[in-house]
Amino acid sequence: MSRLSAHGLSVNLSGGWEGEIYLRPPDVAAATAPAAMGGRNASQGTATTQFPVLQLANFALPSQRGDFGGGAVELMEAHSLFVSLFEYGRESVGTALFASSTVPWPVSADTFGPNRLQRPLPGQAGAQWFFTQSGRPFCLYVVLGSYLLRRATLRPLNRVLHTIAIG
Amino acid sequence: MMVLVVLEGVVLALLAVLVVGLLRTHAEILRRLHDLGAGVYDDQAVPGSPASPAGPAPVALRTQPGVAEPRTTATPAFDLAGTTPDGAAAVISVVDRPHTTLLAFLSSGCTTCRGFWDAFAQGEADHLPGLDTHLVAVTKGSANESPAKVRELARDSVRTIMSSEAWLDYAVPVSPYFVLVDGRTGRVLGEGSGTTWEQVSGLLEQACADAGLTSTGAPSRSRRGGLGPDGPTRERRADEELARAGIGPGHPSLYGQTDPEPIGPTDETSVRAEPGAGIPPGPAPEAPA
Repeated sequence: MSRLSAHGLSVNLSGGWEGEIYLRPPDVAAATAPAAMGGRNASQGTATTQFPVLQLANFALPSQRGDFGGGAVELMEAHSLFVSLFEYGRESVGTALFASSTVPWPVSADTFGPNRLQRPLPGQAGAQWFFTQSGRPFCLYVVLGSYLLRRATLRPLNRVLHTIAIG
Repeated sequence: MMVLVVLEGVVLALLAVLVVGLLRTHAEILRRLHDLGAGVYDDQAVPGSPASPAGPAPVALRTQPGVAEPRTTATPAFDLAGTTPDGAAAVISVVDRPHTTLLAFLSSGCTTCRGFWDAFAQGEADHLPGLDTHLVAVTKGSANESPAKVRELARDSVRTIMSSEAWLDYAVPVSPYFVLVDGRTGRVLGEGSGTTWEQVSGLLEQACADAGLTSTGAPSRSRRGGLGPDGPTRERRADEELARAGIGPGHPSLYGQTDPEPIGPTDETSVRAEPGAGIPPGPAPEAPA
């Protein structure tokens, strides 16, 4: 059992799971924050603030990949699972999208769909949840290697999700 | 007659010198064998040993100073926990994997290691023998290594983790040092060192052949990932271009509406679609019921 912990996020990993917690590069935050805020208060954007991303997978993650798994999901096999817990800026707290104050896990198989992927790939399925925890807004994005096997792969997924702690 | 006696005396003297020399040489050989632990003078033979009492005792192998000695017992494999050269906390799993993993324990300071970093950067390790073998470079942690230097050497060409604990777990004696792990059994298949990547890859091929692993020679998936046009570069570029065009998360144009309504501060739709920095994946974000 290995414990992965950084930036107020932690998770226990075992049984072939691996992961990373990193800070998003500030240039991405700078480029997207004003547009995301509708240009209303771009000057108060999060250009200099970096927020963490927690990525988990039960397959070998490539060294180069996107925040939502670009470059990694292409390597997934039927039983593969990919998780991205993406923290947003504080300005998102209190918005309707992040109104849920409870963590979304355990997740159910019915939530997943092949059309809920950032990049649709044959056979795969995805789902996303927005929530606020400890005053921090998050998006949980999960990709399953196989939509058909979604019920079988949920148990190890929920097992690892249950060990995530947000400080 | 007198001459013959003198000649005989000289011959005897020469023979005596020769015998003494032979005895000294023999004694030196025996002393060296004893130093090597050959047990030439062992008084107590190990009962039941196939080599005792008539056969020679087993000789303990030694290596030259600076060369790693082979491990006496098989070592279990361990997952790797540490940080990436970019500062991210990371856990890399090598156990409970359907493939083999080659761990390259390298440092940023040793000149021999530099050859391996260069070989990885030039793609010489893209085709590894074994069971879809993945390559992971392991340096000591940031207390012993400069992350900037390691980042410069790794050049995104090989997945790299900085973990002093891994060096302790695998009892790495020197750098460079290589450990081949079978993820299915969670055991170390082979390990050793070398001065060039050619030597190490030859040993790797031999170890995989001995273990009966299929030599796929397929490009390492850990290297392939993310390098193509479908990787994170594409994702980031798309995010940035959308942002420059004023299209953020939840923008109506992303969901097939031909006449997007203007975003206003009191527009509930726009508020629901503004999760902050970044573009959420997937279809239209749905507000919780």
